[in-house]
Amino acid sequence: MDIYLPIAEVSVNAPILIALGAAVGFISGLFGIGGGFLMTPVLIFLGIPPVVAVASEANHVAASSTSGVISYTRRKAVDFRMGGVLAAGGAVGSFIGVEIFRWLRLLGQADLVVSLSYLIFLGVIGALMLSESLTSILRQRRGDPPKRRKDRRPPWLYGLPFKMRFPRSRLYISVIPPIVLGVFVGILSAIMGVGGGFVLVPAMVYILRMPAGVVVGTSLFQIIITTSLTSVLQAGRNQTVDVVLATLLLIGGVLGAQVGARASSRFRAEELRALLALIVLAVGLRMGLGLFFTPDEPFVLMAGNG
Amino acid sequence: MPYAAPPETPPAAVSAALTTTNVRVTSSFRGARIVLYGAVFDPTAQPSDVVVIVRGPDAPLRMARKTRVAGVWVNSRPVVFEGAPGFYMAASTRPLGEIASFGTLRRLGAGVDHLAINAPLEERTETRYGVRDVVVSRLGQDYLDWRRAVVRLKEQSGLYAADEQGVTFVDRGLFKAEIDLPTAAPIGVYTAEIFLFQNGQPVSRRMRGLTVEKAGIERALYLFAHNRPWSYGLVSVAIALAAGWAASVAFRRN
Repeated sequence: MDIYLPIAEVSVNAPILIALGAAVGFISGLFGIGGGFLMTPVLIFLGIPPVVAVASEANHVAASSTSGVISYTRRKAVDFRMGGVLAAGGAVGSFIGVEIFRWLRLLGQADLVVSLSYLIFLGVIGALMLSESLTSILRQRRGDPPKRRKDRRPPWLYGLPFKMRFPRSRLYISVIPPIVLGVFVGILSAIMGVGGGFVLVPAMVYILRMPAGVVVGTSLFQIIITTSLTSVLQAGRNQTVDVVLATLLLIGGVLGAQVGARASSRFRAEELRALLALIVLAVGLRMGLGLFFTPDEPFVLMAGNG
Repeated sequence: MPYAAPPETPPAAVSAALTTTNVRVTSSFRGARIVLYGAVFDPTAQPSDVVVIVRGPDAPLRMARKTRVAGVWVNSRPVVFEGAPGFYMAASTRPLGEIASFGTLRRLGAGVDHLAINAPLEERTETRYGVRDVVVSRLGQDYLDWRRAVVRLKEQSGLYAADEQGVTFVDRGLFKAEIDLPTAAPIGVYTAEIFLFQNGQPVSRRMRGLTVEKAGIERALYLFAHNRPWSYGLVSVAIALAAGWAASVAFRRN
């Protein structure tokens, strides 16, 4: 059953999109990520113009994250205060990111920056996560005692001014690192069409040293705010949000996210991280390596006049 | 042999009509096929050729060329081309080159090779060999490569087509041509020009109009997104958040 998308101006197969939405939603609920880094490349591959894919995907991520975050809230696994601080940075980042994206489109370099961002961020984060999770899995197999988590937190987290208490995360740290992190994720969100969970989750664990239990829920909460804002900004500034596309994706997405959030309690954290790392790495390489191969067609048509 | 009709007979003429003049793009739109029927009225029964040119609305387009920089393929600075129709189809009874001369085809803009696609921003005028106002393109020798690439990429997406046997005579003096609009066909006003060629010259010409427009909910959404973009954004986010919430409530009940 094909359906014509009013903004993307292409015809797509509706059941395939719903199934894709569900698959990505499942991954989203399972790992506490938005899933945008998976969906945006798939949409582009299906022939949806990249600018529309990036903007509409923000909308889909907002939906599946909402679906996921409510079940995490019931388990008291969301630090709303930390999420709010991250989102404040994220809002600033979205504004910057949407403007950067406009500017890159004008220069004709949006494709390059999107591919390079995927290669660099997904490649590095995927590799780090994979090595970290494999090490801890191997240690468990060998029966070694788990490495004691260093309680000594980096001094710069504490030395900075504007300290704030985050009771749910049992932290008393400066708001500067979370805000900077939020800005960075907001920019990525607009440029790559992602929620930024794949950056946020590791950063919350390794930089902010938040307890593992609240990381996923808090990440989802901040993603809802950032992607909702990005979505409105993209619609308002660029008119590139396709509501039919986003709705098709979110029908599957919200259901998949529910199933994923339930399934997550059945897996070990290290195994989940290793699996996520593999997915992240694969997507990053797939998007980025194309830059190194001689293209079949040396010319590219770009939509619009700038 | 120059063409000269005997004074007592009326001149040859062509007439044509489209089966559809209004294509509605709705949610089930998967492209459209429009049939053009026409007739040649020629008392002298000279050999006639018919050429049908369908043009969609012009839209400037940007194109970049991938170049290798430090091992990575990157886009060059984009070049803006003007005069490229959003849709173009040339159908004829024979290859265009056999029907008329290069100059005639160029003047009529008949055939993808004769489209007036140019990149005005890349052009400047200068004095060369004592000749003033010579138009020089900054794209230099590569200009033809760029121009060919515009046509090639448009052909790949089904937006440009040249069919050398696209016009067929179904009966004496009665001809037919098919116009295939792909899903990606731009919205707007199209023109179909029908030329009757005799002895390499266009002796009669007809023009027919065709509108491609969004209809129904597609049109409503498109207009909403472009006329009230901020409200549209807020509504789409509201749908997303509501759907997420609804799914979570539904699952809790189970």
